[in-house]
Amino acid sequence: MNRLEQLKNSGNKAFVAYVMAGDGGLHRLKEQVQYLQGAGVSAIEIGIPFSDPVADGPTIEAAGNRALKQGVTLQKVLEELQSWTFDIKIPLLVMTYLNPVLKFGIERFTTECRKAGVSGVIIPDLPYEHKQLVQPYMDKENIKLIQLVTLTTTDIRLDEILREAEGFVYAVTIKGITGSRDELSQDVKTFMQKIRKKSPVPVYAGFGISKSSHVDMLRDDVDGFIVGSAIVEAFNAGKIEEIEPLIRAVTTA
Amino acid sequence: MTKVKICGLKEVQHVQAASRADAIGFVFAPSKRQVTIEQAAELAKHVPVDADKIGVFVNPSLKEIEDTVAGVPLTMVQLHGDEPDELVKAIQVPVIQAFSIRTKEDVVKLKQSLADYVLVDAPGTDYRGGSGNVFDWSLLDGADIDPARLIVAGGLNPENVHAAIEQTTPYMVDVSSGVETDNRKDTVKIQEFIKSVKGDFVEQTMEKVGFFGKYGGQFVPETLMKAVKELEDAYNEAKDDPEFHKEYHHYLSEYVGREQPLTYAKRMTEAYGGPKIYLKREDLNHTGAHKVNNAIGQALLAMRMGKRKIVAETGAGQHGVATATICALFDLDCVIFMGEEDIKRQQLNVFRMKLLGARVESVTKGSATLKDAVNEALRYWVTNVEDTHYLIGSALGPHPFPTMVRDFQSVIGEETKRQILEKEGRLPDTILACIGGGSNAIGMFYPFIQDKEVELIGVEAAGQGVDTDKHAATLTKGTDGVLHGALMKLLQDDAGQVQEAHSISAGLDYPGIGPEHAYLADIGRVEYRSITDDEALAAVISMSRLEGIIPALESAHAIAEAEKQAKQMTADQILVICVSGRGDKDMATYAEKLEGLA
Repeated sequence: MNRLEQLKNSGNKAFVAYVMAGDGGLHRLKEQVQYLQGAGVSAIEIGIPFSDPVADGPTIEAAGNRALKQGVTLQKVLEELQSWTFDIKIPLLVMTYLNPVLKFGIERFTTECRKAGVSGVIIPDLPYEHKQLVQPYMDKENIKLIQLVTLTTTDIRLDEILREAEGFVYAVTIKGITGSRDELSQDVKTFMQKIRKKSPVPVYAGFGISKSSHVDMLRDDVDGFIVGSAIVEAFNAGKIEEIEPLIRAVTTA
Repeated sequence: MTKVKICGLKEVQHVQAASRADAIGFVFAPSKRQVTIEQAAELAKHVPVDADKIGVFVNPSLKEIEDTVAGVPLTMVQLHGDEPDELVKAIQVPVIQAFSIRTKEDVVKLKQSLADYVLVDAPGTDYRGGSGNVFDWSLLDGADIDPARLIVAGGLNPENVHAAIEQTTPYMVDVSSGVETDNRKDTVKIQEFIKSVKGDFVEQTMEKVGFFGKYGGQFVPETLMKAVKELEDAYNEAKDDPEFHKEYHHYLSEYVGREQPLTYAKRMTEAYGGPKIYLKREDLNHTGAHKVNNAIGQALLAMRMGKRKIVAETGAGQHGVATATICALFDLDCVIFMGEEDIKRQQLNVFRMKLLGARVESVTKGSATLKDAVNEALRYWVTNVEDTHYLIGSALGPHPFPTMVRDFQSVIGEETKRQILEKEGRLPDTILACIGGGSNAIGMFYPFIQDKEVELIGVEAAGQGVDTDKHAATLTKGTDGVLHGALMKLLQDDAGQVQEAHSISAGLDYPGIGPEHAYLADIGRVEYRSITDDEALAAVISMSRLEGIIPALESAHAIAEAEKQAKQMTADQILVICVSGRGDKDMATYAEKLEGLA
C-alpha cells in the first residue's frame, strides 16, 4: 500500500521534513533520514540540488550549492536511496526542479524513483499547465505528483488544481521564496480554510514554517506542516535536536 | 486552429514525420494497423511530449483499456464499437467516441454521447468506423453539437482537408489511409497533410500559444502563474489596441529618436571586397542600444496593468540603463539586479542607472553574472508579485515574454525592410545580428522570416573558443533544458546543472537562448555561428576605423562574422548588419584589451 495513503489515513497532523541531499556529503543523507524518522516525522522530502533554484531562499540555495560542490547529482541520490537496507516506515518524497529530470529522462526518473521507494515528487517549476509532461510517467509507476497552491493562485485555477490533486496539496503560506519567517499573515489562515474545504486530499502548509507559533496559528486549518529551511539550517549547524520541539508541536495532539 | 491527429502509426519514421501533429493514434483493435502495447510504448518515445497519444479500440474491456493506458502510456482513448455508457464513464483519461454517419438520424446520436469528444466518420467496411471514404459533411449542418467536441475523420487527405475544416470547424481532424501509399504510411504525405492544416511553420508557432515548436512554455513557480497569466491577457489585449500602438510609437519617435537610419557602409564595403554592406543603427537610440525599444513597450504595459514598480536584471547594463531611463521618464519605482562581476566590468552603466534613480542590487551568488541576476530578479518578483512588473530584457523567460519582447523589437526589422526596399528596391541577401538571449536578432529577423530568399545569420559568443569551457555558444553547444521559465537550448552538464557561460561581452554571457531562436535553429530557417572574444575585438577596431562607428562588444560579434560572410558573397549582393548598440559602455574593456593601440 502506498505510504502516502497510510499517512492520510492515520488521522494525525503530519510533519514533513525537508533535507537537502548531499549537504555535507551524500553519505550524511542516510543518517539524516534515519534521525528524522526516529524523531517522529511523518514523511521526508529529499531535495535535489540545482544550480538555479528560483523558488528557494538563501538557506536552501546555500545548502544546494554545498551539495553541488560535493558532486551530488540526481542519479547519485537515487542510487543512494536504492542502496538503503534499513527499514523506511514513512513516505519518501523527492523535490527537484524540472531541468535535472529532463536531462535524466522523465521515464527513467520515474522508474528509478519507484525502485528507490519514492512515494511522491514535487517539481516547483512545473505548473499545473505543463504537468502532462511528467504525469503519465508518474501514473505508470504509481508515484504521486504533488501540486503546489499559493496565495496568488486564482479561484478558477485552484479548483482545477485541486480536482486533480493527489497525495497531498502543498499549500504555500507566503508570497515569496522558501525560508524562515517571523510572522505569518492572517490571510494565510483564511486561505488554508478555503483550500481544505475544497481539497480531496490532505492540505500541508509549507514555506516559512519555523516556529511553534506558526503551528499553533494554523494547526486547526491544515492537515500537516512542511519544514525546510529550519531543518537544513539545523543540520548544517549541527543542532538538529533543536528541531525536536517543533516536530512534537505538530505531531502531538 | 484545428488540431491534427495522425492515426494508425506502426513505424518510428512515420511517428517522426508526424512530429508537428497534435495527436498520434495507435490502433489496438484488430486491423492491418494493429500494434501491441509494447510496440506502441516504443513508438510513443518518439512522440513530442506535448502531443496526445490516443489508443483506438473496438469493444474493449475496461481492464484492457486500463492496461494499455498505463502501459504505453496513453493520454486519450478512442472507442469505435458499441461501448456502453458505463465503460465511457469509467475510463480515467479523456474519451473519444466514434460514430459512422449515414443519415441525419446518426447525427442525433452524437449529442447523446457521454464522451469528451465525438469522432464522425464514413460507415466502415473492414472494421467499425473507418472506410477511408469521405461522408457527406453537410449532414452535420444544424446538428446541435459543440465544434469543440467534434473530430472529423473519413477519407481526409491533404487536398480535401481544408474543405472539411471550413464546413465543420472541428476541434481536430483525424487521418489514416489519406496519408498512405499502397496501404503503408507515407512520410511525405503525413507532412503534407499537417502542413495543409497548419500552414507553414510561422503559422504553426502562432498556433500553439506560448510555444515555438517544442520550445517556450511557462515553467515558473506557482506563485508567479497569476502574474504571468495576467501579463499574457494584458499583452493580448494591448497588442490589438491601436491606442497602445500609437503611444508606443509616439515614444519611439519622440523620445528614442526613431526611425534609425540604415547606413550604407561604403568603406566597409570596399574593404571587404564583397557585397554592399548596410548597418542598422540601433546604436543611435537614446541610451545607446536596442534595449530601449522593449523597455518602453513593457513599461507602458505595466502601467496599463496598474503596476508602478519595476524589477529588472542586466548583464552589460544596457537593459538596466534603458529600464532605469524609462522608469525615470514615467516615474516608476525601479530595482535592478546585476552580477557583482558585471558591476565591476560596467561601472559607467552602474552609475548611469543610479543617476537615473534606480536601485542597483549587486548579486554575489553563482558566477555573479547575468544568469544569477535573473535568478535574483525572479525571486524578487515572486516576493513582490502583486505590485511589481518584471521587465525582462531579452526574448527569454516564461510566455508571453519571448513573444512580447520580439514584437517590441520587431520595429528594427520592419524599419530595415522598408528602408532597404527604398534604397535598393529589393530585400537583402543576408542579415546578421548578434545573439545573447537574442532580442535584437529576433527583432531584426522576425519581419523577414517568411522571405525565404533572405539568409538570416545569428552570431553567438564563442568566448575563448567553442572547444574550451569558456564560451557562450548556446546553440552550437547547448542541449534542451528548462531555465528561467522556458524550455530552450542550454549550456548544462550531464546532470542538468546549468553551466556558467563566458564571453568578453557582459551582454552575451548567458547560458540560454530565446526559445524562438532554438526553434528557428531546429527548422534551419536561421543559421547560427559563433565568434571568439579576439575576433570581436578585432572587429571593434576595424569598424571604428573604417566607418567612424565604435560598436558595442555584442554588436562586434555580428560585424566579425560579416567580414567572413562577405568573402563568400559577390558585389551584386546586399548584406545588412544589426549594430545593436554603441561601444561607450565597453570603453574600459577596450582600453584594457586594446592597450597597444594607444
